Amino acid sequence: MLSESFLPFFEWCGNTWLGTTVRDTVWAFPVIETFHLLALAVLLGTVLMVNLRTFGVGARDSELNSALEPSLEPWMRVSIVVLILSGIPMMLSEPMKCYESISFPIKIGLLVAAIAWHFTVQRKHPGKLAAGVSILLWTGIGIAGKGIPYV
Amino acid sequence: MSLLSVCEWLQNLPWASGIKHSAWQFPVVESVHSLALSAMLWPTALLDMRLLGWIMPRRPVSRVAAQFLPWTWWGFAIMVASGVLLFCSEAVKCYQSPFFRVKVALLVLAGLNSLVFHKTVFRSVAVWDGDGSTPWRAKLAGGCSLAVWIGVVAMGRALAYA
Repeated sequence: MLSESFLPFFEWCGNTWLGTTVRDTVWAFPVIETFHLLALAVLLGTVLMVNLRTFGVGARDSELNSALEPSLEPWMRVSIVVLILSGIPMMLSEPMKCYESISFPIKIGLLVAAIAWHFTVQRKHPGKLAAGVSILLWTGIGIAGKGIPYV
Repeated sequence: MSLLSVCEWLQNLPWASGIKHSAWQFPVVESVHSLALSAMLWPTALLDMRLLGWIMPRRPVSRVAAQFLPWTWWGFAIMVASGVLLFCSEAVKCYQSPFFRVKVALLVLAGLNSLVFHKTVFRSVAVWDGDGSTPWRAKLAGGCSLAVWIGVVAMGRALAYA
């Protein structure tokens, strides 16, 4: 649960044009969430395939894998952008749910940590630790997102 | 016994109603379902895009398939197992939802598409393995798979809110 000092921000979110439009359009939320989930699949699928390889899982074809990794990076960046762009209208449409949920601040914290980890530690010190933390952070974001309506 | 009464019976099983009414069980199973989706959907899409000739045109199709198919099977197995649990916990809602029926129909189509692909054009993959441009039946299979899986995700989301 967030401190009450954040409340005015969340109230403002709910009154934005985008927030009210999504809330008042029956099909808007599930359609936006479909794009959010498809982008999540691209992101998490890449994170799992690239990082589990470090532990020897799913690494049948090492030559193909190492060729694949650089070509997956742009997809991963695009998917992060789509996730954020589709996440914003969903958040704006029900900000009070996010304000009252413990999952939402955890999700945002993990997101900042995961992006920072990806562009710093994982760049400079690739290895089992970097890969393991990366998997935990990104799957944690997915799980925390699922938790928003519940806790 | 009608299908609806089977759904009612399923939903009232102690463990099924336990998933629905527990504070944490439904979101946990749903998280597993989404994570498994992520593990299988992107490898599936990458293979589909190779079949369409959109990506990795110089990589042999058989090697791309050998790399990604285990991911799709493992992810699919976990997704079906967690999906059955979710279904049982709200079987009547699913029975009454047109979106659920479309979702099941699309899953059957995905299975048939994969079966036809493996039994026909993929058998002769050795002939066209290295070609950047694949035979039209391979392109068709890749395109159908992409469209059907996007539809499965969309129907799943629609089902959750309807």
